[in-house]
Amino acid sequence: MIAYIARRALFALFVVAAVVTGVFALMNAVGDPAAATLGPSAGPEQLADFNKKHGLDQPLAQQFLAYLGVVRCVRPSSPRWHTDPGQRGYCGLLQGDLGESFGHQEPVGNVILTRLPRTLLLGVLALGFELLLGITFGVLAARFRNTWLDTTIMGTAFLGISLPTYVTGPIFLLVLAFWYGWFPVGGYGVDPLDHVYHALLPAFTLAIFGAATYARVMRSEMIETLRSDYIRTARAKGLSTRTVTWQHAARNALLPIVTLMGLSMTILVAGAIITETIFAWPGMGSLAIQSIYNLDAPTVMGVVLVFSVTVQAGNLLADIAVAALDPRVRLGS
Amino acid sequence: MRLIQKTNARALPAWLCVSLLMGLAGCDKRPRGPRYEGAGNPKPRDGGTFVFHHESNVRTLDPHLAYDELSNMAIRLLYDGLLDYDEQSNLIPSLAETMPTVSEDGKTFRFRLRRGVRFHPMPGLPKGRELIAEDIRWSLEHLLSGDVASPGFPFFRSIKGAEAFHSGNEKHIRGIRVLDRYTIEFTLSEADQTFLNSMAMTFAYPVPKENYARRGDQVGQYPVGTGPYMFQRWERGVQIEFVRNPRYFAARPGPNRMVYLENVQRYVASLRFQNGGLDAIHRYTPAHRRLYKTARRWKPHRKEFAEAVIYGLVMNCELPPFDNVHVRRAVAFALDRKGWAKARGDAFLPTGQFLPPSIAGHVPRLENRQRFDLARAKREMREAGFARGLRKEIVLWVGEGDSGRFYGELVQNDLAKIGIRVRVRQVSFAVYLEETAKPKTVQAFMSGWAKDFPDAASFFDPVFHSRSIRSRNSQNRSFYRNSQLDALLDAARIEQSPSRRAKLYQQASRIVTGDAPWAFVYNPLSMHVWQPYVRGYGPHPVWDKDYRSAWLDLPRRRVAHMLTGRRFAKSMASLFPFGPLMSKRFAEGRFTQRRRPAREGTMRLR
Amino acid sequence: MDGRAWRRFRKNKGALWGGMLVLSVTLVAALGPLLAPHDPDQQHRETLLSGDGSPVAPWSVPGHPLGADSLGRDELSRLLHGGAVSMQVAFFATALAVLLGVVVGALSGYFLGAFDFLSMRLVDVLLSTPFLLIAIAIQRVWDDPALWTLFVLLGLLSWTTLARVTRAKTMQVRALDYIQAARALGAGRMRILLRHVLPNVLGPVIVLGTTLVAQMIIVESAMSFLGLGVQPPQASWGSMLREGQELMDDAPRLMLFPAAFIVMTVFGFNLLGEGLRDAFDPKD
Repeated sequence: MIAYIARRALFALFVVAAVVTGVFALMNAVGDPAAATLGPSAGPEQLADFNKKHGLDQPLAQQFLAYLGVVRCVRPSSPRWHTDPGQRGYCGLLQGDLGESFGHQEPVGNVILTRLPRTLLLGVLALGFELLLGITFGVLAARFRNTWLDTTIMGTAFLGISLPTYVTGPIFLLVLAFWYGWFPVGGYGVDPLDHVYHALLPAFTLAIFGAATYARVMRSEMIETLRSDYIRTARAKGLSTRTVTWQHAARNALLPIVTLMGLSMTILVAGAIITETIFAWPGMGSLAIQSIYNLDAPTVMGVVLVFSVTVQAGNLLADIAVAALDPRVRLGS
Repeated sequence: MRLIQKTNARALPAWLCVSLLMGLAGCDKRPRGPRYEGAGNPKPRDGGTFVFHHESNVRTLDPHLAYDELSNMAIRLLYDGLLDYDEQSNLIPSLAETMPTVSEDGKTFRFRLRRGVRFHPMPGLPKGRELIAEDIRWSLEHLLSGDVASPGFPFFRSIKGAEAFHSGNEKHIRGIRVLDRYTIEFTLSEADQTFLNSMAMTFAYPVPKENYARRGDQVGQYPVGTGPYMFQRWERGVQIEFVRNPRYFAARPGPNRMVYLENVQRYVASLRFQNGGLDAIHRYTPAHRRLYKTARRWKPHRKEFAEAVIYGLVMNCELPPFDNVHVRRAVAFALDRKGWAKARGDAFLPTGQFLPPSIAGHVPRLENRQRFDLARAKREMREAGFARGLRKEIVLWVGEGDSGRFYGELVQNDLAKIGIRVRVRQVSFAVYLEETAKPKTVQAFMSGWAKDFPDAASFFDPVFHSRSIRSRNSQNRSFYRNSQLDALLDAARIEQSPSRRAKLYQQASRIVTGDAPWAFVYNPLSMHVWQPYVRGYGPHPVWDKDYRSAWLDLPRRRVAHMLTGRRFAKSMASLFPFGPLMSKRFAEGRFTQRRRPAREGTMRLR
Repeated sequence: MDGRAWRRFRKNKGALWGGMLVLSVTLVAALGPLLAPHDPDQQHRETLLSGDGSPVAPWSVPGHPLGADSLGRDELSRLLHGGAVSMQVAFFATALAVLLGVVVGALSGYFLGAFDFLSMRLVDVLLSTPFLLIAIAIQRVWDDPALWTLFVLLGLLSWTTLARVTRAKTMQVRALDYIQAARALGAGRMRILLRHVLPNVLGPVIVLGTTLVAQMIIVESAMSFLGLGVQPPQASWGSMLREGQELMDDAPRLMLFPAAFIVMTVFGFNLLGEGLRDAFDPKD
């Protein structure tokens, strides 16, 4: 078992390393971060100074070594971070630092730590909407299958999976936030309650796709379950339809939903680029897109790293769980 | 895993119906005026939070490095200069007690500082520290030192010894002398009519050396100045927060806090502004511009003015086909400037010459001004020998984003009419900046030039003087050379009589208009709109966006005619049979009264 | 598709609807440029922009049934041309992804070994990077993007699922008795792959490919929506959506038309894919 876990972990590590290397190469392929960071009015001296300070005038391999933390550079976690004259920017991945953002002049770790909770808030709310709507309507559709209710719910759900957020987002923003004034027009708010209030509309926009998917899965699972023997037994015992539907069938049909939730998890960390952009929500997604525009490579890499580590960790945990339950897997064939 | 087995598309029409109804119900609900109005306080008062925004982000709050409009907007809240501009663009003293005394030969300037001006509190100095003449000297030496590599250096070249100090040959700048605690004297190596303008630039704003010792390169993130607002917090790319400086030397009533939101799309920002979530706005979509301009209720709360900025199509005079002056002129006559303005919601004034109207040297009725004249453009093409148009397409570089795309499409459309096919290349800003500054690289591109200070020298010298041509990072990006023009500009720079100077620049204007290294297109017409409860705010002729004098007439009240409930009820009533019932309920205002009243400060951040 | 699958498909009403939608949208995209009444890039600032510069409404100017966009271009022509662009990108990207996915999947499923290991690791790496983010980053750093770069990019990033499915199916088929027999009889590898393996993976590939077209339309529009898609003055539904969004409270049609087309197309492809899945893989 331990050997199996070690093998899987090693493999996950390899994938993350490959992602890091690939994105590093990509972000450094073309483009001039100095000009993108300092803007149109920067003079040649300033640009050269920027490149020197961030080690961008050195060969790519050297920069990559600095990013890994093998070469000496200013580590954002060091106490002398503010005034250290050494090379900034890429630094210290192996020591657990994500380097310093070009544009933010702040440790990438800190930037991500301020953004991550907001994206989590958005993600959790969205997940809540997804589960609530998905399960309710899925069960209803199964319960009343082949009636007009089922048809309407499933038709809408099918439309739901075909509705991109950049169509629904602007419409919600205009109609619900601007015209009716029920929600704030984008932004993030000032206190915790306000944050939640601001998150409602983007979370709902995000949730449409998931809710539709869950409703569809829930319905088909419910139909299977309702056909199974133990449900018939329960009915035969004389339990009411409501009890059978909600207490027995729905519970069992939930299992595949739990596995599907893994899908929504990536949104939790990577944020939703489009939705966050539409609603001016300062989370991971908008951080990513701004950093890409400004060619802020360390920040982009930080975001991608967080994303791929989460995905790999999720996969790893799932694999371990499966292995624990099923000896055939861990013994390897 | 199997998904549903039978899908029915019958729900589609129903859904479409619902969204259609939503659309219809909404049509009635477009707000045509402000949603909040002021309390009507007769006198300026303290309090509240002033929220404003911009589409992109501030780069730094270090005045020695900041060289863009947005950063300067924030820096103007945090710092002061020795000199400032009044509402008529005249120089006035600020940190200086009076205007400086100038020697006969125009080379020596003596400033006396205002007493009792204090820097903001900083770690170790909880009450701040008094600003003294030594700070001015230290700030300028820091600004001009070779290590800092400030883009501001060229503006202070004329100070005696500045070059030697910059290259590291001398330890101090010879031309700066501190006479006593409050007096400082500058000596120039030659008379320079623009020196005082330079001293009013944000580069020359004094900074405390303690902050630089403590923060090193991070000053741009933790600024300390003397200005009316103190830095509180900056989350990069999201917002900057300022609080009022209680010890400000020229204190006047104003908001307690200022919040500068970054990276808010203009469309979202404009919607938020109309709903009362922003206090002032200067970037919005063309459609919203039309709204602010035509809506009666917005009229008292907006002001339009022509910025001293020129935009145009730059042609590389060293590359074919633009090495031929007739082709350049043909382009200049082919651009339908009025049509552009129309498509842009009249957001700019079409122009046909280099200098904006507010700059001395602008010629009101220039005989040879560039304008839209298709016949003339075609004639120039014939004279150039391209009566049938160009065989090869030209490549036009434009910046990123919607506006780059927009202008690219406008040029494409107009030049097609004189037989020039244009391929638009949208490139990242970094690439754009680097490549257009290389000789013989980019054929044509859209560009603008904004003043550093309101003087013709700030336009002509960098953009058209042959001295500004370099093999890399060239400032003269059309690579236009004309020795006659160079001589004119050199003469104008040192000319002391304002009227003679203006004449020289008018002559220069005629030359570049005729030779057309640029097709001059427009001066942006900036329109600032503010909420009715915002008072004392308006665009500044030099700084454009200046929030120093604003105050908030709080508590704000919701404008009666804008109650959403009533309008909602009306539109619902027109759609559903149960409408009248709801209509009554909403008309009574129950719906809106349940809303939390806007608390000062926190709520208004929405 | 064998007879039974076809019958099942025909009986599925949703799938037929989807097929019809797909067919009509594809027709519009293919013939659109021919049907377009005007040059989609020609700006009529005098006639199609009203006095204050706002675009004219539908039917208000004869010959322009859907009115104009914010630059005075004929909206209908742009929609038709834009559809062609969007569908081109989606189809070519999908074709590339299918080609790559099937080739890589079949080869690694059949030969296993080092190639299989490497290609599957590549799939893992691609799956643990945020897709849209990477696409945007590449488009952003790409020096001179053109239409073909867009679909090559999208194709190169989205073959992963197809490869996995093809590989699994190939491994299944490979272990079957008759394949073993064919191998024993000395049939060439290529022959086995082409004659026996490929027909077996065709079903899932068609199903996945159909839904992939829908996804590609969404991704292309998303990138155009963020301003990183097609180059001016070319229109795609996504870029029109972006332009229309800013005018939404003024002229909602400019956003709703392209949005409706995108949603319709995606909806159609999803329905079709669903129907095909049921037809190929009946469980009842």
